[in-house]
Amino acid sequence: MGSHAQTLPLDPLPDAIATLCDEVEESLESGLLPARVFNDPEVHRLELERLFARSWVYIGHESEIPAPGDYVLRYVAEDPFIFVRDEAGEVRLLFDACRHRGTQICRADKGNTSHFRCPYHGWTYANNGDLVGMPAAREVYGGLDRSQWGLIQAPKLERLHGLYFACLDESAPPLDEFLGDMKYYLDMSFGYVGDLEVVGDPHRWILGGNWKTTAENSMADDYHVTFLHRSMVQLGLLPDGGDYFKACHHISPGNGHGVSFEFSGPDARVNFGYPDDVAAAFGRNGLDPQQADLARRCHGGGANVFPNLAILFLQLSPTLGDDAPTAFTSLRLWQPHGPDKIEMWNWVLVPKGSSDEFKQQSYRAAMATFSPGGVFEQDDSIAWRSITRTAGTTFARRIGFQFNYQMGDQVGAVETVADWPGPGHVTSHAYEETLHRMLYRRWLDFMRNEDYPPSWTDPRVVVREH
Amino acid sequence: MTDPDPADFLVREAEHLDNNELREWLEGCVTEDISYQIPIRITRERGAATDTSDGGWLMNEDWHSLHMRIERLYTAYAWAEDPASRTRRFVTNFRLNPTETEGVVEIKSNILLFQGRYDTAGHFLAGERHDLLRLVDGAWRLAHRRVLLDHTTLDIPALSVLL
Repeated sequence: MGSHAQTLPLDPLPDAIATLCDEVEESLESGLLPARVFNDPEVHRLELERLFARSWVYIGHESEIPAPGDYVLRYVAEDPFIFVRDEAGEVRLLFDACRHRGTQICRADKGNTSHFRCPYHGWTYANNGDLVGMPAAREVYGGLDRSQWGLIQAPKLERLHGLYFACLDESAPPLDEFLGDMKYYLDMSFGYVGDLEVVGDPHRWILGGNWKTTAENSMADDYHVTFLHRSMVQLGLLPDGGDYFKACHHISPGNGHGVSFEFSGPDARVNFGYPDDVAAAFGRNGLDPQQADLARRCHGGGANVFPNLAILFLQLSPTLGDDAPTAFTSLRLWQPHGPDKIEMWNWVLVPKGSSDEFKQQSYRAAMATFSPGGVFEQDDSIAWRSITRTAGTTFARRIGFQFNYQMGDQVGAVETVADWPGPGHVTSHAYEETLHRMLYRRWLDFMRNEDYPPSWTDPRVVVREH
Repeated sequence: MTDPDPADFLVREAEHLDNNELREWLEGCVTEDISYQIPIRITRERGAATDTSDGGWLMNEDWHSLHMRIERLYTAYAWAEDPASRTRRFVTNFRLNPTETEGVVEIKSNILLFQGRYDTAGHFLAGERHDLLRLVDGAWRLAHRRVLLDHTTLDIPALSVLL
């Protein structure tokens, strides 16, 4: 079914980038990071090769291609792939390149088809990737073994709670191992909430910024909400001050993943903010009792699956009226688009069994806040663009400009939650930057190592005394 | 007495938006039951029935959600529009259709919006508007707007202005 290809060994890391990686490691120990990693063409090229082509990355949701022949065009970083359900119902990820000359064979964002036909010379493939015909095949290709010339499948594709992840490196460990203890929290959220479906089609837009800036923001930058998003406080759509903005726990499950979720006390029934009639359908779904208990107490928040899949479980309102905020769930992919741009993909998901009315309300809340026109997201774009601009300046490079990731640790403002029922390192509140540093530690693993980086759980990057 | 010119209304409405007179726009140009929609566009094969998303929106607003968006811009922290972008709306190719209901017209138009921001070159958005106008006290107001953008992936950092 389609063809398989072997991935070649990586080229050795260029000396200049190896030196930069040493600097990053040393800086991280002091809670700092060289600005250069956020805007450098060589770093970007190597990230594509070493990080994005070896990590498990998000592709799409099963509800986007429910029927045989359904397909959507997707990208692994900057490389195009067709995410398709074949005639037998099997989900596949096929490199969007004709085996003859490499012409792109899929130019629509989505559709339904039994075959993909190359516009150049007419090589035709079944939707499972098999090469089934070429014009004048008998005359000019004779006995060519078609089974060797199918569309090339992504080396690995796995499903978790309806979410499909792919990996372009055959030597990569299974998705479970890449996720490590992050899987516990994906089970606790997506497993608990149960069947979701994507509403409509993803928002897509291109903004100035580097994917790492946006990944760290949506994972764990609770600190910015109080100021950058202060317009929401002024409108009365967010509470003013107090401990509201640091109410989340930062959970570091290892391997560079991160979770910033808020939990209420032991007997609370919060269910990620979903109303009772919707949450009535949520369930254990194989969770252990402690995990199910955490899920019931969880308000949600933000999370990031390394490297670039952001998850939001939030409750917000699209109006100034007295309507209660509505719960929504979004999956968001920060796709690198060169060193200083991102193509953002944003999917809103709703519980499959909920009413049409709730689905629309939930979508509206998500669209009004986190989408190209979202009243939160609009302002984020201002910060991200200029961070990347700073990182690309000559002066920043000449003075070795370092960004500061020291919040919390040095003054002992953050404590470790000792009796946390789940895995990972957990902080007492969200005004701290452990998760950021963990992301860059994992980034280093992938940038430096030609062998597949081993998994780790929470070897905290401790900030040294100054 | 003849009805005022619907195309003239759209030109004057655009002036409010270009001038960032958004409270005036909400107060004077739209009906209380306005529906304002920008569906997501998707690239489909030529034979496909539609190339707008079924259920996916960039904006799907009523008066209350437009009010929230507009009031936000008058706070001191709406960074996306402070400094404000310079916008110019070119509204052309008017196609007027009467409806069954007295005092209601359908008008299609093309819109080209230039948005200049900071020291960047700025960008354009192009699309077609399908508007429904209703006479209120002898003046046209916008009751429904559906903007079909000619973009799938938007090459803009944020959709921070109205079309």
